[in-house]
Amino acid sequence: MIPEYYEFSCPVKIISGLKALSNLAFEMDLLGVHRALIVTDQGVVSAGLIKQVESAFEGSNCEIGAIFDQTPPDSSKKIVNKVANLFQEKKCDCFVAVGGGSSMDTAKCANMIVTEGSDDLMKFQGAERLKSPMKPFIAVPTTAGTGSEVTMAAVIYDDEANVKLSFTSYRLLPDVAILDPKMTMTMPARITAATAMDALTHAIEAYYCLQKNPVSDSFSLAAIKLIMDNLLKCIEKPGDEGARLAVANGALLAGISFSNSMVGVVHSLAHGCGGVCRVPHGVANAILLPWGMENNLEKAGEIIAELAPVLGASTSGSKMDQAKAAIQAVRDLGKRLKDLCGLPTTLKDAGVTEDKLEDIAKAVINDGTVTFNPEDVTYEVALEILKKAY
Amino acid sequence: MENRSGPQGLSMSFRVKRAVVDISLLALGVVFEIVSRHSAELKAEIADWEDGRVFSLGVLPEGPAISLKKERDRIRYLGKGFKNPGLKILFKNLDCALLPFTGQMGSHTAFAQHRAIVHGNVGKGMQVSRAMNIVQTYLMPGFILKKNFKKPPRLTPGQLLLKGWVMAYLVIAILLNIRK
Repeated sequence: MIPEYYEFSCPVKIISGLKALSNLAFEMDLLGVHRALIVTDQGVVSAGLIKQVESAFEGSNCEIGAIFDQTPPDSSKKIVNKVANLFQEKKCDCFVAVGGGSSMDTAKCANMIVTEGSDDLMKFQGAERLKSPMKPFIAVPTTAGTGSEVTMAAVIYDDEANVKLSFTSYRLLPDVAILDPKMTMTMPARITAATAMDALTHAIEAYYCLQKNPVSDSFSLAAIKLIMDNLLKCIEKPGDEGARLAVANGALLAGISFSNSMVGVVHSLAHGCGGVCRVPHGVANAILLPWGMENNLEKAGEIIAELAPVLGASTSGSKMDQAKAAIQAVRDLGKRLKDLCGLPTTLKDAGVTEDKLEDIAKAVINDGTVTFNPEDVTYEVALEILKKAY
Repeated sequence: MENRSGPQGLSMSFRVKRAVVDISLLALGVVFEIVSRHSAELKAEIADWEDGRVFSLGVLPEGPAISLKKERDRIRYLGKGFKNPGLKILFKNLDCALLPFTGQMGSHTAFAQHRAIVHGNVGKGMQVSRAMNIVQTYLMPGFILKKNFKKPPRLTPGQLLLKGWVMAYLVIAILLNIRK
């Protein structure tokens, strides 16, 4: 069914495949910039991936102005200001983020600061507050999950006020996303599984939540198929470049989808688990996805049923039977990943203590994503889902 | 062709739409204040808000808009316009605002359809949005609530009484606040 109204945008140039990273300098030249600030983290450096980025500049007319390699897993206002200062101090003219969601969000926010000429991120909180064109931004993901390389959102922690700051703007979309299989090859099995489950959650929630539209639907379906067909191959045979690239593409497609059709209660709950108990986002999504889908069976059962074939579930019986089979397929995948790499399937296994469930539920109802969930998410509803997932 | 961009040469339909949104915002503002004095549910919802929180609801680019403030255990209607709010809930244009204000669309649908946006902390925006839903329970007829809410509220006899009183007092309250 066509929605009565929708919006969709993804102007990001996507470069995917073997030795795709070698095109980095060429793409910078096309964007009219020649001195990059690389934003990354220590994990990426110690995996030797920055060396790959450096070698992509060899023999080109572009150079690295500076490398910021101190991005923490939850980046903060202080870090963003440091990165923005480094950009200006080293006279860089573009950002190249190499890493997971945190490095990309840090680069997006530093870009905001540099472009808007302000060191007060608070001024840009919310949606569509950026009016000036940003500095060119190239994203090179080293995980296959967040989809941040194609999303218009960024989240940063305010270490003074102890609150999460979120920003949404079409201006935050990178200019180029480079998916090179060698950049995700070093990911350990458990992180590969958790980040891919994050991507699967993006695709599935974007498909049945309230902002769904025909364009995002097509991205979701393609993303689910790529992840379902290739995730287990990546875990069982980590050196399989084809499977790695397929999951990276699945994560990217899921990112495009949820950037244009927001996610719902699974993400609200995962954000709450992350904020209160520090459960990694992908792990929380993997645990909560089947419970969140179940929560929406009454209002979105027929839509969830449409996912049965791509999830490899039975397509026989009523729509409700198919929706339940789709949920069971997600649950089965979670169990398989638990067996293969120890990915938790309950909140308890993920380190959540029962006395924290109420605090998580309180955080959930203030998360913006509940707006887009088909079912109403009250404190009581959130607590009920958390107890089931515990 | 007549140039209708900018403040010059506004059509009659635009002026009518602006007047409808203007009066709807005023009604929402004064009812927010009334309900916050009497509804235990709204009092509970705003209990954790910091005292002095100012928030606005309005239409881009230049209004109409209203501002409200949390004072002790209630909400005070500050009047028309943006009065230095820390949080704004904004509709992209008059047509976007008309849909929820005339009961054609719920607030979550307005957000899902990109018609409304939040400027400021999203968590606080969610709190204001929940509070607004409680206020709308007293402002909108039941059939509209049934259509626009994800889960329509079931009012207790006491809440129904308050709703009746709000409806009866609404015109007077609007007249008393029209110049604010």
